[in-house]
Amino acid sequence: MSPDLEVELAGLRLRNPTILASGILGSFYGLMKRVEDAGAGAITTKTVTREPREGYPNPVFVDLGFGYLNAMGLPNPGIREFSVELRRAAREIRIPLIASIGGRNEEEFMDVAGRALDAGCSGIELNLSCPHVSGYGLEIGSDLQLACSIIKAVKSISSKPVFTKISIHQARPDIVSRYLGSGADGVTAINTIRAAAICVESMTPILSNIIGGLSGPCIRPIAVAAIYEIRRELPGVPIIGVGGVDGWRAALELILAGANAVGVGSAIARKDLQIFGEIIEGLRRFLAERGFKSIKELVGYAHRS
Amino acid sequence: MNYRIGKIEGIRTLTKSIKEYEIVLDEPINPEPGQFAMLWIPGVGEIPLSFADAETKRIKFIVARVGKVTGHMHDKLRAGDKVFIRGPLGRGFTRIRGGRALLVAGGYGLAPLYFLSRKLRSMECGVKALLGFKSDDEIFYVKEFEELVETEISVEHGSSGHRGTVLDLFKDVIRVERFNMVYACGREELNLALIRKCLRMGVPVEASFERIMRCGAGICGSCSIEPLGIRVCRDGPVIDGSMIAPMLEAP
Ligand SMILES: Cc1cc2nc3c(=O)[nH]c(=O)nc-3n(C[C@H](O)[C@H](O)[C@H](O)COP(=O)(O)OP(=O)(O)OC[C@H]3O[C@@H](n4cnc5c(N)ncnc54)[C@H](O)[C@@H]3O)c2cc1C
Ligand SMILES: Cc1cc2nc3c(=O)[nH]c(=O)nc-3n(C[C@H](O)[C@H](O)[C@H](O)COP(=O)(O)O)c2cc1C
Ligand code: FES
Repeated sequence: MSPDLEVELAGLRLRNPTILASGILGSFYGLMKRVEDAGAGAITTKTVTREPREGYPNPVFVDLGFGYLNAMGLPNPGIREFSVELRRAAREIRIPLIASIGGRNEEEFMDVAGRALDAGCSGIELNLSCPHVSGYGLEIGSDLQLACSIIKAVKSISSKPVFTKISIHQARPDIVSRYLGSGADGVTAINTIRAAAICVESMTPILSNIIGGLSGPCIRPIAVAAIYEIRRELPGVPIIGVGGVDGWRAALELILAGANAVGVGSAIARKDLQIFGEIIEGLRRFLAERGFKSIKELVGYAHRS
Repeated sequence: MNYRIGKIEGIRTLTKSIKEYEIVLDEPINPEPGQFAMLWIPGVGEIPLSFADAETKRIKFIVARVGKVTGHMHDKLRAGDKVFIRGPLGRGFTRIRGGRALLVAGGYGLAPLYFLSRKLRSMECGVKALLGFKSDDEIFYVKEFEELVETEISVEHGSSGHRGTVLDLFKDVIRVERFNMVYACGREELNLALIRKCLRMGVPVEASFERIMRCGAGICGSCSIEPLGIRVCRDGPVIDGSMIAPMLEAP
């Protein structure tokens, strides 16, 4: 019998542990459908805010070779318009749809979450960690009290699981347990890391916003440490591990550190949507070769040594 | 850093709103016709442009004045200035071997088709190009095409070539001539109309599409043709007509 890749994540059932990370292709129904067809276990939408946001002008993305830098500026059509995509996705896509929510205060988070839930999403991810948009993300997330009150407020209107997406700065067991104490059902770790690149030829910053977020293979060791430490102190918490997953080995590394499921983000730039199939096949082969029956046996396995 | 450094070698004014830029890169690239580059001008912005020609380090763009970056290019760029290029990106035209190809362009859409006709000619294809313009003073690149392939032009408001749209001209031409492949690049309405017509006649067709581009790497989702989920920067910009068929329900 082929090994079982199904995982359970705060009440969500995933056919396999791969999840499309927020901000990657999750902005339209058609793209999300293609991600489902490529084999993903779940989808996180692009972070959506109450009002439409243009985002920053180009350049917004740099391929550094060893990783990626982006400063999109949370472009999105606002929750009213996005609800149309979300509703259609919820109707026609069978895998869980996690709506990523952004806001500047408790009221905005509540409003957006309420509408996303109405549209039929299966879970919520609170973006408290985007490192390069003033008034959003990490700026909200670094105020522990504000973050906790946002979690409480959203949780009070949600019968669906609520994940808190964190940056390296919040990836501390004491902070995460405060989030859980406020009602969060799980954490997504980690978001991109504040970073910048300067072109020496023009002697100017490349990103129009100057500061962006670093992603890709170069942040994987940082994600592994964050996941490992949270898992060690909080054995029961559902964790979506994100950061530098570019194949099945990287996915497995995050799972061994303690992730129940793994987000796939910027690696799609190099490997395109086939990466989901590649991870799934690789994990299945590994489990079979090593005699494991289920991927669940490997969650946090590295803690045994 | 993934940018190549380009030096503007020459700028040619083609019409009052279109210029041609010849650029020499620090390293050779080998784009296929239909592929594009992201051109970055530090402090101004970054935009997608189709290769209008390319030969090792030497590339050409044909640029219509639209807004901030293209306006800057028209007004401020001079020979000797530096620009930065990432690419080639996306999927280009599939080239037929032998047989007859029909190229249909609207306005600056002729850019990638010029590059294509150069390559097709070296593959011993019969090539005919139909170039559409709005008015007499917007006509450009006709001589360049005529040196390579059989060329006809249409002008909507003017006295040159055929009177009317390039779609009208296309309909007249395919009534009497047979082609193995149609290649199109123009406004979306033109592309869709050509694809609809070709699919009905059973002629293979490819068209180059445009969307607002951000990452250019297939991950941000900004350039999707919905609800098909086709990313212009990655799955395109050249898209096979049959992939677009679900969008053509309306007449
Ligand atoms: C694959 C591809 C290949 C292209 N090839 C060429 C080419 O060879 N030659 C050429 O001249 N142009 C080409 N374009 C179009 C060109 O990229 C845009 O005209 C340019 O980005 C405009 O930038 P700007 O800063 O001058 O204008 P902006 O100041 O950014 O825009 C001015 C106005 O135009 C709108 N706009 C800008 N870009 C687009 C777009 N792509 N679709 C619809 N509306 C738009 C904006 O929303 C705004 O309202 C191509 C586009 C794509 C996607
Ligand atoms: C282009 C791009 C856009 C992103 N947008 C968002 C976003 O809107 N919300 C969010 O929480 N994270 C966003 N992220 C962060 C990713 O979800 C992920 O946490 C990060 O990229 C690390 O994973 P990776 O190394 O697999 O890319 C974005 C990342 C990239 C590369
Ligand atoms: S421009 Fe980002 S996916 Fe095409």
